Amino acid sequence: MASHTFLSLLLFYLYSFHLLRPIYCSFGSNGFETTSVPKEEEFSEELLLKPLPDYKVLAHFHFTSTSPPSSSNGKHHHLFPKSIAQLVKKYKIRELELSFTQGRWNYDRWGASDPLSTANGKPPGVELWALFDIPTKEEIDATWRNLTHSLSGLFCASINFLESSTSYSAPLWGFLPNNGDLRYGALPREAVCTENLTPWLKLLPCRDKAGIASLLDRPSIYRGHYHSQRLKLRSDGLNGIVIEQTLSVVLQPIDRTSWSMHQLFKKSLTGKCALAKSSKVFLEIEGNLVSQNENILELVGEADMVTNDQRDHSTIYQYNVERYSEHEALDIRVNWKKLLQVSFLQAPLHASRFLMGSGNERGSIAISLQSARNSTKGLYDNSKNCFTRVVIFQVVPWYVKVYYHTLRIYVDGAIRDAKDVVEKINVAPSEDKVSPGTLEMMLQFPCGMMSAALTLDFDKGFLHIDEYPPDANQGFDIPSALVSFPDFISRRIYPDSISSPLLQSYKGRNIVKSYTEVLLVPLTTPDFSMPYNVITFTCTVLALYFGSMVNVLRRRVSEEERLAKSKDKRKPGLIPLLISKISNKVRGIKEDSANQSQSSQPILGPKVVFKVVLIALIAVLGHYIFNSS
Amino acid sequence: MADETSAAAGTSTETGAGTESNLRTTKPGTKRLFLTVSVLISFLVGAPFLLKSTEIHRSPLPSAAISSLSDHLHSNPPSFPCHFQAIFLSPFKPSDSSLSLSVAERIRAQLSAQSCGNCNFTVSVTVDSGSSCRHEGDAASAACLWECGGGGLVDAIEGRDDQGIDELLLSAVNERTGGCAGRVYSVFVMEGRDERVVIGKHRHAWMVLKDLDDSTSVGSMIGTVFGDYFMRGGVEKGEYIPVGSDGNVVLSFSLLNSNPSDWIYDWDFQRTGEVLLAPVLEALAPVANITMESQVLYHAPKSSISYWDEKLEAYVVNTRDLPFFVNSNEWHLDTSLSASGRSKVLQFVVYVPSASECPLYIRTPEGEISKTNAFISPMWGGVAIWNPHGCSMQSQGIHLVRDVLPPQELEKIIEIFIGQLRILFGLNSNYVEPSPTFKFLASEKGFTNWELDLLYRQHTCFNLLSSLSTLQSLSTLVESLPRMIVMDEIGKQVELSLEAANLAERNISLGINNASALSSIRARALAEDAFFHPSIMSISYSSMEHYFAIYMPFFAPVSLHVLLAAVKEVKRYFAERSKYLAFRASKLKSS
Repeated sequence: MASHTFLSLLLFYLYSFHLLRPIYCSFGSNGFETTSVPKEEEFSEELLLKPLPDYKVLAHFHFTSTSPPSSSNGKHHHLFPKSIAQLVKKYKIRELELSFTQGRWNYDRWGASDPLSTANGKPPGVELWALFDIPTKEEIDATWRNLTHSLSGLFCASINFLESSTSYSAPLWGFLPNNGDLRYGALPREAVCTENLTPWLKLLPCRDKAGIASLLDRPSIYRGHYHSQRLKLRSDGLNGIVIEQTLSVVLQPIDRTSWSMHQLFKKSLTGKCALAKSSKVFLEIEGNLVSQNENILELVGEADMVTNDQRDHSTIYQYNVERYSEHEALDIRVNWKKLLQVSFLQAPLHASRFLMGSGNERGSIAISLQSARNSTKGLYDNSKNCFTRVVIFQVVPWYVKVYYHTLRIYVDGAIRDAKDVVEKINVAPSEDKVSPGTLEMMLQFPCGMMSAALTLDFDKGFLHIDEYPPDANQGFDIPSALVSFPDFISRRIYPDSISSPLLQSYKGRNIVKSYTEVLLVPLTTPDFSMPYNVITFTCTVLALYFGSMVNVLRRRVSEEERLAKSKDKRKPGLIPLLISKISNKVRGIKEDSANQSQSSQPILGPKVVFKVVLIALIAVLGHYIFNSS
Repeated sequence: MADETSAAAGTSTETGAGTESNLRTTKPGTKRLFLTVSVLISFLVGAPFLLKSTEIHRSPLPSAAISSLSDHLHSNPPSFPCHFQAIFLSPFKPSDSSLSLSVAERIRAQLSAQSCGNCNFTVSVTVDSGSSCRHEGDAASAACLWECGGGGLVDAIEGRDDQGIDELLLSAVNERTGGCAGRVYSVFVMEGRDERVVIGKHRHAWMVLKDLDDSTSVGSMIGTVFGDYFMRGGVEKGEYIPVGSDGNVVLSFSLLNSNPSDWIYDWDFQRTGEVLLAPVLEALAPVANITMESQVLYHAPKSSISYWDEKLEAYVVNTRDLPFFVNSNEWHLDTSLSASGRSKVLQFVVYVPSASECPLYIRTPEGEISKTNAFISPMWGGVAIWNPHGCSMQSQGIHLVRDVLPPQELEKIIEIFIGQLRILFGLNSNYVEPSPTFKFLASEKGFTNWELDLLYRQHTCFNLLSSLSTLQSLSTLVESLPRMIVMDEIGKQVELSLEAANLAERNISLGINNASALSSIRARALAEDAFFHPSIMSISYSSMEHYFAIYMPFFAPVSLHVLLAAVKEVKRYFAERSKYLAFRASKLKSS
């Protein structure tokens, strides 16, 4: 009886939620929807497949779990992962994002300004940032340290290396505007593999046992060109905790013109996770296919819904996984009839970063920005008053000592005064072995600009012998810089008939941004055996000096000479005689028989032979005994 | 230079006489001798300085104090002062002090059986019937003696149920033993027709006996209540107490759905479980600081195999397969993040079997179905199997069931868990009456007061012993690795821990329970902190080989030179001196 009333209440509640949503949606911002507060923990799973212009396929898994705000957070949970709720509660986290990425998102080929790529393009390795709900700076730092340790335990990764103050920074506006309660750290060299995926899956109620996550066949997804696994959570008193777990993989289908889900993942989707509120698979094609004649591509598998976004940038095919079962697995097959001519949205400027200079002493970092105007013509005009704003955020480890006064900015090849271009700058210089250098810079470029470049000179520092990683000769990685374009917003608004947390997140005002390459800086690596070499060399020299000094002080030269003379008259010693004999034999000189009979007798006598045989015997026995034991 | 010439003169005689020459006209010089010997001596003098300067920093550990205290505790385990009093509410005429003696004897028989949490007891017997009031035996203090005048109790008891009597006696004890109401264990003895022994929820029991004349049998009966139950709780040995070294315990309750495609059960643990468990946690507060949390997990099959039993018409798991029941690969129970430091997490799992193995029962070795359908794993927690109703009737592939565990079912499961918690803490889940006349009143808190006292005593004692064994292993470890760095912090922690252990031991003998428990917890926490100090974990000690590798290249060749020079010089000096002495002697002879 109780369950009946409960169900009807729930139905009513869901219905009201549905009615209210459009109103609430308008408040949405920053990728998260401010929906009416659910009373129950919810989970939904989605997969978005998107053919990329270079015939690769992007598979974007998106899992959302929500936990309503309640006093029992961190104590009693039904669907929501307990560990995450406890993490949020213990460390008073407002927002957190952790990403594990292998490979680099190819902004040129896979798109740079659509919501999917701006939100999911992540720097290689591990990136972690968190916003805390803690007042003082010291407490935030202490909490950050504890958080890194907890996360490294939770995700089987060396996130704990972000603990030291040399590895994280506190950007004020370059990464995300905040009041000094944001901490940002990146580990560019962290390798990502299944040991990170398994704990990540553990946070899903069905793990990879059922539902969309069951497609995650390890060999298939790790074979991809790009692999980014992300956990983003947000907690506040109004909405409770929301976690978004996404996994983006770029896969290469065997056949360029025709691929299916089964071919990509080597697994089939046989049903939804029983716990999921909604379970959907989307296929997104850039460009408006609905209005065009559908002669470009052929889809096998009937979509439940086909729709366009408001500006007709893309077409979405929706498949509800509920309809499929063991007997009828969901397998979307895409056949391209014509060669793909997908136009995709590029970022206004293409950013890349590289090192200049040679040697192990100094060098300079350069960031080059190339206009992509040929593909986005409409955005620019050559009028004087048009400016494009660019924000650059870069963290540099302390051993790369950047001289910020050497900042030079070139616009279209000509050097420009920094005052003209830099609108806002915030520099936190590095402190040796204490903190990394952080550069946040807002630049203004004229719209007609074709290319720009920034250079910064640096000296390479020396590390203590303990501070080198095991493979010191490989060099040191400088984390990716973030280049964002605050004037460019990537958003896509889909009709409200699609209720999907993934597509909802597209509605938010996502600033177009791109991460640059990771830089590899070779530092002078010491010879790690050097201390021992130095010790042994100096000791030997000292011992030689000391020994000879003692001898010089002690010896009586005249007395020894006399002794030597008197000794000459007696028979020569054993060893000099042996040496002279051997040298004579080698030279082939026959000694006179008298001498031979005189001297060879004591050397090769039976006594000596016996001794040699005895020693050899002892050696053989010893060898035998040691080997047998 | 003079020395040189004299030596030349000395040897010139030698050359002439060959090896037999032993004449020397001058005294042998001591300059070179002095030089080489002084170098040698300076080396020898410098050696201690070198050793001192290359010494590894090792904070001195009070190993002697540790071993002495630990020896003391092993030979003489801490015993807590307890006072037992027997109160005769009916006329009783003991001939002599044989009653209290036989009580004490019975209790003493139990003492040897157990090592930790013993009582250093005193027994007193009071006869309080009508006008007569007699005290016998030794009381801890005069305030702890039963104040006579409880004669009306016998009448008041008439017609009340056990619960009522228990409460009545509690108020009587509180009233009449004044200051030590919380520390005295009492047995009320009265005469009556129905023989029975009832052990109450608090710190008293009452017995109705037909015949009070035989003081030995009465005494042994009273002694059984005191010794077997109030002092020992009827348990054989409570060695492990699942409490973290910082005194925290997290009870993690998980509902496991074996296969959510058959059915999904949720629970309202927050409402039902917390209400039912709150008094238990409150009762255990002096022993451990307990928090609880719950979660529901899905796709968590068991890992042992179950068989279809025709007779029972159910799937059964044999008890010998139970060790494999917990599926650590699929049951992501997780250690709790809120369990900070070295807290202990106890897992309590409700397992909902899938349709292919439902109903599922545990079969005892006797071939019967387990009544509780649950089992425990010591120091880990407990598992209870809950079969959805009518699951055997349902055919497979039916529509998905999403349901909530009925509250009354959850209550039953939580009762099982409370029983399991009692076992995990070393008590019996429920008492087996030794005879039909025995009765135990169960507390709604799960633990009766005297059981809590028992846990308290055992816990204090266990903490004390474990802190000392930790300290001792640490000191043996440190001694066995002579070149291991021992930080000052560790030394300090060891000292503080030892201090706390001493304090706890003293407080135990004085009977200050709160302070002894606190300091024993502190001693254990500090000892574990010292043992698991990060600097010890990353055993960064520089080995002897390392030491030799650094100093050998210098000292081996140099010491060879210095030693040889000194030996040669000394030899030569004595040889030359003997020649000189011979010369002097011959000179004297000739002159």
